[in-house]
Amino acid sequence: MFKKILFATTGTPSCDSAARVAFDMAKRYNAELVTINVFGVPSRSFSQTVTDIRTGDEVDLHDDRLEEIKNELEKTYVQLIKDYTPCETVVTVGIPHTEILRLARKKEIDLIVIGARTSAEENENSVNRHIVGRTLQSVARSARCPVLVIGRTAASFWGGISNIVFGTDFSKASDEAFKFAFNLAQTFNSSLHLFHAIDISADPFEITKNQEVIEDRIRDAREKIRSKYLSKMEGFNDYEIDVWEGIPYVEIVKYARESFADLIVMSHHTKKMDPEKAVLGSTVEQVVLRSNAPVISVNHPARQKKQ
Amino acid sequence: MAKKIMIVDDDPAIVKYLENLFKNNGYETCVARDGSEGVGIVKKEKPDLITLDLEMPEEWGPRFYRKLSKEKEFKNIPVIVISGLSGNKYAIHKAVASLTKPFDKDKLLTIVKETIGE
Repeated sequence: MFKKILFATTGTPSCDSAARVAFDMAKRYNAELVTINVFGVPSRSFSQTVTDIRTGDEVDLHDDRLEEIKNELEKTYVQLIKDYTPCETVVTVGIPHTEILRLARKKEIDLIVIGARTSAEENENSVNRHIVGRTLQSVARSARCPVLVIGRTAASFWGGISNIVFGTDFSKASDEAFKFAFNLAQTFNSSLHLFHAIDISADPFEITKNQEVIEDRIRDAREKIRSKYLSKMEGFNDYEIDVWEGIPYVEIVKYARESFADLIVMSHHTKKMDPEKAVLGSTVEQVVLRSNAPVISVNHPARQKKQ
Repeated sequence: MAKKIMIVDDDPAIVKYLENLFKNNGYETCVARDGSEGVGIVKKEKPDLITLDLEMPEEWGPRFYRKLSKEKEFKNIPVIVISGLSGNKYAIHKAVASLTKPFDKDKLLTIVKETIGE
């Protein structure tokens, strides 16, 4: 299922967890691994001066500079490379998300692995700690393949995919995420949790005033999961259906923790939303930042690479 | 009757070290070399506490713990995670403690005594 994995890194400690997941997955699933580092943005077209993405400094780009960075990067991941040698390292200059997406298309990548934040963004004020990186947002929005995001520094991959949580909001994009999650569960012989969180935080219909209304909605949601997804899971019995009420991203993170999830699969909706809301309000982005399990964001069906 | 501690680890040196440490402090021990044989040994030996490595060849510690937590009789056995992996305290959120290798044996013994007594 994952024959080619692209790991996008800045080479800083903030990408260490993502590195471990990328290398572990490549090794475990016998995939080809390509590591990409976008070193800097050219200050002008064809300029030999680039702005270093990590430091913000202007740096002259000598002929050997990219090779030096490549060696530096390979040294950073020497322990991981030692255990898994069939990997390629690409260092380039340009706008990070453009270069990542370009390489993903060129190499026909099945999965992009990326950290949720760059180190530069981590150093900003505390408000921004609840916002995913701009590169991730752009990559997740436009990638043709699923994007696996490692949000928290501690988020790790504890020994393969055996327990998948699929979080749905019943949208069309969620249908595509379901197809991917189910395919994944079948391929890796994993348990699949079909989960929906009823949003009572905004309470537009004042449903929290009446517990019966909440429980009716839970029953309706369970029925919707059955009718929408179970019909497509013939012969697959290792699943559970759960519906909780609360703030969706909180409930998904809690549910994943309580069910020992190795992986969360969700759809990414930001393309349809107001940019302000996409940054601050998206459930998948909050799950990415808070969850202890890696999160795979699946994009619009037309853009998803055929499995 | 002595309390029994189950050691789940694939490293023979660590296993031997922990066996000696626990036996010298009055505990009985039993061993699983991997998560895959762990649940069977738990059922057979009924340990009072488990020390659990995370990264093992056949089946990792979290997957073993997930299976264990489905067993009504054994799901509340206290677990101490002992692993060299970074972020190991997040791997099993119900663990009573997480120690990073190389660990302090006195700290481990203190946690064991506080959890199951002497």
